[in-house]
Amino acid sequence: MILFRPILLFLILITPLKANTIYNLIKIPNLEIYEINNENKLRYLYAAKPFKLGVSIKKNIHCFDSDKKTLDKKYKIINKNLNRYSSEFLKKIGLRYIVLCEDLSIENINTAGIPNNITRTLILDIKFNEVYFERAIHHEVFHIIKDSYKKLFNEVNWESLNKKNFKYSECSTCNNKWNLDTYTKTKGFFTEYSKSTASEDMAEVFSHLMFYQHKIYNGDPIIKKKIRFIKKSISKIDSSFKFLNYD
Amino acid sequence: MISINKIKITKSEKITLVFIILLGVFTLGSLLIIKNKCLFIKNYDPDDIQFEKRENIAVLNVKCGNVIIELYPDISPNAVERFKTLTRSSAYDDAAFHRVIENKLIQTGDLEFGKRENLNYGKVGTGKSGLGLIKSEIDTDFKFKRGSVGLARTFQMDTEDSQFFIILQDEPLFEGEYTPIGKVLYGIEVLEKIKFMPKFHIVPRPDFINSLKLLE
Repeated sequence: MILFRPILLFLILITPLKANTIYNLIKIPNLEIYEINNENKLRYLYAAKPFKLGVSIKKNIHCFDSDKKTLDKKYKIINKNLNRYSSEFLKKIGLRYIVLCEDLSIENINTAGIPNNITRTLILDIKFNEVYFERAIHHEVFHIIKDSYKKLFNEVNWESLNKKNFKYSECSTCNNKWNLDTYTKTKGFFTEYSKSTASEDMAEVFSHLMFYQHKIYNGDPIIKKKIRFIKKSISKIDSSFKFLNYD
Repeated sequence: MISINKIKITKSEKITLVFIILLGVFTLGSLLIIKNKCLFIKNYDPDDIQFEKRENIAVLNVKCGNVIIELYPDISPNAVERFKTLTRSSAYDDAAFHRVIENKLIQTGDLEFGKRENLNYGKVGTGKSGLGLIKSEIDTDFKFKRGSVGLARTFQMDTEDSQFFIILQDEPLFEGEYTPIGKVLYGIEVLEKIKFMPKFHIVPRPDFINSLKLLE
């Protein structure tokens, strides 16, 4: 105990200062500003160097820097999609920073994005699944929404919309249900990935509502109920929110 | 009997002597100049300046002189009120500049662990005023330019209290993040002389606020 204070003081004093405004704000190292003058006040940052994150010494989130050409190309796509969310809506859901990097992984499993509603940050893998890249952006935005409004998106209520004998997996990566192709015959789920967890199922419904130009509801009564659930919950957050279809 | 003849100083010896004397004077002079880091800093006297709203002018006195700050109650009414309340009670006097990042920002106002008489290096930066937390006021568009003054907070919003910072360079990312309370009108160069420690979080034996007063 006698030694504890001097040791603690020594550790504090020798801790190198990360005199970086971005790091101080969102606790992600090696980022630089890509674009911050957007109408909806989103701040786009990019990885200038690879970074590792994690709460423990074992930092389990990794992402890498990207070349400028890819960044410029993907920024346009991401910006186009995220511009559909107003600054008021983004403020309500707590999203302010978009981090662009590539080969994003958590526990060595690749992922499209990692949301954090405490730091109001969404890390996006700009090279994730080229086919479903745009829809995946909205999918990840939904996770921020859900994390900020857990009561609205109650998972027990959601699960009751499925057939009685259906059970989700323990986690989104606990099985191989990762396919993002939209089913032609939905049977209660838009994609195979929808079947992984209630949270991913909600995110898939939300992203389909946000992204597809054609009418996605094909008479499936479960899908119909799920769409109503998502729309109703989102309207409680922002009554002026517009999906692409159905409004 | 031995006679000692007076030895004449040669020309080169004279030159060497003059050089040594000049070197000594120069060294002493340099030492004095280096020691007095406030030597070329202008000290502003608020009595010599006309202000439109004197009630919104705060004078921060530190080692190298006065820093004159205009407060913006129209932008952040609650935060400015808190700042004025603490200033009126002289609560900020003797508070340490506990967080100083060279040419970026200075932070002070920890009234619990950052006062001269009870500076706690292990906890400085986490202290409170005892008046409770106030809500962030970040809805107004405010450009955080060099000299802007804002209330510090924890990682979470609505945790502002007594600690404040002054930025020494433009910080566009601070907009919408921190509650602005004012801007330095005169004397920002005084703040550039506040003690810092390169690459370290905490400033050992930091500089302190001499006084912080309102002109009202």
